Amino acid sequence: MFSYALKRLGLSVAIVSLAMLLLFSMIYLVPGDPAAVALGPRATDAMREALRIKMGLDQPVWVQFWNFFTGAWTGDLGREVLSDRPVAQVVMEQLPYTLALIAGGISWSVAIGIPLGCWAAVKRGSWADRIVGVLSVAVIAVPSFVIAIYALLVFAVSLRWLPAIGAGEPGDLGDQLTHLILPSLAVGLGWIGYIARMVRASMLEVLEAQHIRTARAFGLPENLITFRYALTIAILPTVTLLGVGIGQMLSSAVFAEIVFARPGVGKLVYDAILTRNYPLVTGAVLVTTVLFVLINLLADLIVGALDPRVRSRL
Amino acid sequence: MTKTTFDLSRRSFLAAAGAFGVASTALPRAAVSADGSVLTLRSYSDLQILDPAFRLSLPEDDIIRSIFAPMVIPEAGDTWAWKAIAVDSIEQLDDLTVAFTLKDNIGFTDGYGQMTAEDVKFSIERIADPAMESPYAGDWSALKEVEVKDKLSGLIHLKNKFVPLWNTTLPTPASCILSKKAMEELGDKITTKPVAQSGQYLLADWQPKQKTILKRNPDWAHEPGGFEEIHIIPIEDPATAERGFEAGDLDYTWTSVSSLPRLRDNPPEGAVVVEKPSLAYVWLGINQENEALTDIRVRRAIQHAIDRETVVDAAYFGAAKVGNGIIAPGLPGARDAVTYDYDPDKARALLAEAGVSNLFVTLDILNQSERLTAAQVIQANLADVGITCEIKQNDSGTFWTLGSKDGEYFMNLQLLLQRFSMQPDPSWATVWFTPEQVGVWNWERFDDAEYKALHEQGLVESDNAKRDEIYTKMQNIMDESGSYVFLTHEAVGAIHRDTIDPGLKPNGESLLSEFKPA
Repeated sequence: MFSYALKRLGLSVAIVSLAMLLLFSMIYLVPGDPAAVALGPRATDAMREALRIKMGLDQPVWVQFWNFFTGAWTGDLGREVLSDRPVAQVVMEQLPYTLALIAGGISWSVAIGIPLGCWAAVKRGSWADRIVGVLSVAVIAVPSFVIAIYALLVFAVSLRWLPAIGAGEPGDLGDQLTHLILPSLAVGLGWIGYIARMVRASMLEVLEAQHIRTARAFGLPENLITFRYALTIAILPTVTLLGVGIGQMLSSAVFAEIVFARPGVGKLVYDAILTRNYPLVTGAVLVTTVLFVLINLLADLIVGALDPRVRSRL
Repeated sequence: MTKTTFDLSRRSFLAAAGAFGVASTALPRAAVSADGSVLTLRSYSDLQILDPAFRLSLPEDDIIRSIFAPMVIPEAGDTWAWKAIAVDSIEQLDDLTVAFTLKDNIGFTDGYGQMTAEDVKFSIERIADPAMESPYAGDWSALKEVEVKDKLSGLIHLKNKFVPLWNTTLPTPASCILSKKAMEELGDKITTKPVAQSGQYLLADWQPKQKTILKRNPDWAHEPGGFEEIHIIPIEDPATAERGFEAGDLDYTWTSVSSLPRLRDNPPEGAVVVEKPSLAYVWLGINQENEALTDIRVRRAIQHAIDRETVVDAAYFGAAKVGNGIIAPGLPGARDAVTYDYDPDKARALLAEAGVSNLFVTLDILNQSERLTAAQVIQANLADVGITCEIKQNDSGTFWTLGSKDGEYFMNLQLLLQRFSMQPDPSWATVWFTPEQVGVWNWERFDDAEYKALHEQGLVESDNAKRDEIYTKMQNIMDESGSYVFLTHEAVGAIHRDTIDPGLKPNGESLLSEFKPA
């Protein structure tokens, strides 16, 4: 297991490095002068040039990449161009909001998707199974921003049950949770469908296994067989799926953060790209990439711990 | 021993869901400012710099003016005027001298004592100082020095007559007064943590990307701010802000121009829709140094090919009127008409005379829905006279550098749909089209010596009738260059609760300190 963990960790470092190299290459291919965008129309040529130097844009790209990467290892992600605040601080201020959003999205998808998948598997071939199947595909097919806008119009604008914008008062957990309901539903709704489909397929396979038949033969209650003996095995592919899903949820988070005017890393990166605020783009993307890779690493380790066949494959 | 297992039955799930629904309806959300003490409004960007010398956006201007007392601010209402804030009196003694006296009891927070004329001298000269490299140094370009007469009084000496001083320098954050002692101790520019605040409000809290909270300054001894607290929520997307308003989360927000007709015809309950003329100007620019467009007959053909009325109607859903230049109505130099008309036959004739057929041009625009609609109508107009036009959409980071001489694209730039905004003095509009601005912000590469001379003349002419003549002539010259098709000044839309009285400049920009309960 230790050797497996070590190999996965090495792979994770390589993935992060490659991702950052790609990001650096991409942002320098994008047209637009960050100094001109940042300083606006009233800045002189000298001011723009001074800012370019401050941002390190006068140096070759590979030097900039090396400086960024060596700094990142010590936790120094550079400084934000205009406010001159440390990028790490700016990103860390926003990260909890995105993590809360993703955790909320996962909660919705797990809390609804797993029972639905189990139910559909147990009721295989019934109307209930077909309805769950159709609903699952429907929520997968509808883009998250469409869900976000309709949920907002119904529950915030029309019914006024829930807030439309913001993330709630800091320190007021109830207020923050209320502000989380709609955006997290928008982020997680599509994943309810994915998870329901995945759990159903796995459950159908497991429910045909020998040990389940044996359990039934012993007359154990069906709920016990489903949730205790079948689901614990059938859930494994879902753990892996959720690891990948977090990456997709990070993308959906951008829409949710814009539509619900929530703070968060997604919106931070979006704004930073528009303003060519390169230190912020690279810093924020590094943090989210590391986060994504760590979550996948964790998911792989969990699956590896539970299933020896996976360990032997790497 | 008994074992309990979790059993989620359909009945228990439905019961729980139903209970949640009932609980939700039983507890409708309270309005944000139910007791009238808190004003919640939207700004289009979060704050980044609170230094009057380095501010970046209008929302920052508004906050800076509220927390660092300015000498004067623009007056809320429908006509451009100013109102004294930190000064007891201020007057122009002659063309080169302005005398001021501060109010006697304005203090700085953090123990920095009373505001004095020495602080005024420091604050103004700091912006004008070339070593500071303030982008706003031009506001005080005519400054010679500030002379301190006594503790509260002084004289602002100018090198030359400077008419925009009263329109676009003093009523901006360029007249905000900072504590000399505090700034010398700080030794740098103010970023997001203000020191020695002195205004009607104080910055109490900044939650990045989420909220800025201003609280009434308890030590402000003059006309107080209208609310105990002002909560400013940064929301870039106007549609999101409109939904936030309709959901009861905001008391005031700007709206998009395209939403104005809908809101005007069907305002939410308890809401008031405001429409104000804008100082912005939108035009189709034509790069006169691009190889395909060097012949003035081709450029003039494009002017005659565009149906400006249809372009503006389509892009703004009837909420904006056609504009006739760069200077907005109400200011000296605002024109009633342009010198070219919509005449496709004339356009075709000019193209034929120039020997041009099957012309292909590109039109660069910012990727916004209004611009795209306008561009599509322009594309159809041009097709009608035999010009094929390809629309190129750009994100803001790319768009704002397209015509820069530091880039590689400026000579390939052909047509562009452009929008600038201005302060309430015509020189603010004309300055961007001078020869010095070629390749900076003058992307049409329009270069006219007479225009430049008239611009200089306008800066020192205080007679409004004469200024009107000067600036009208300048726009006529722009017309004659064939490089401009003026489209609109847009409109500014806002929506607010009927329980508040928003403090708005004549062009609809907000003045936080002037918002009051209705």
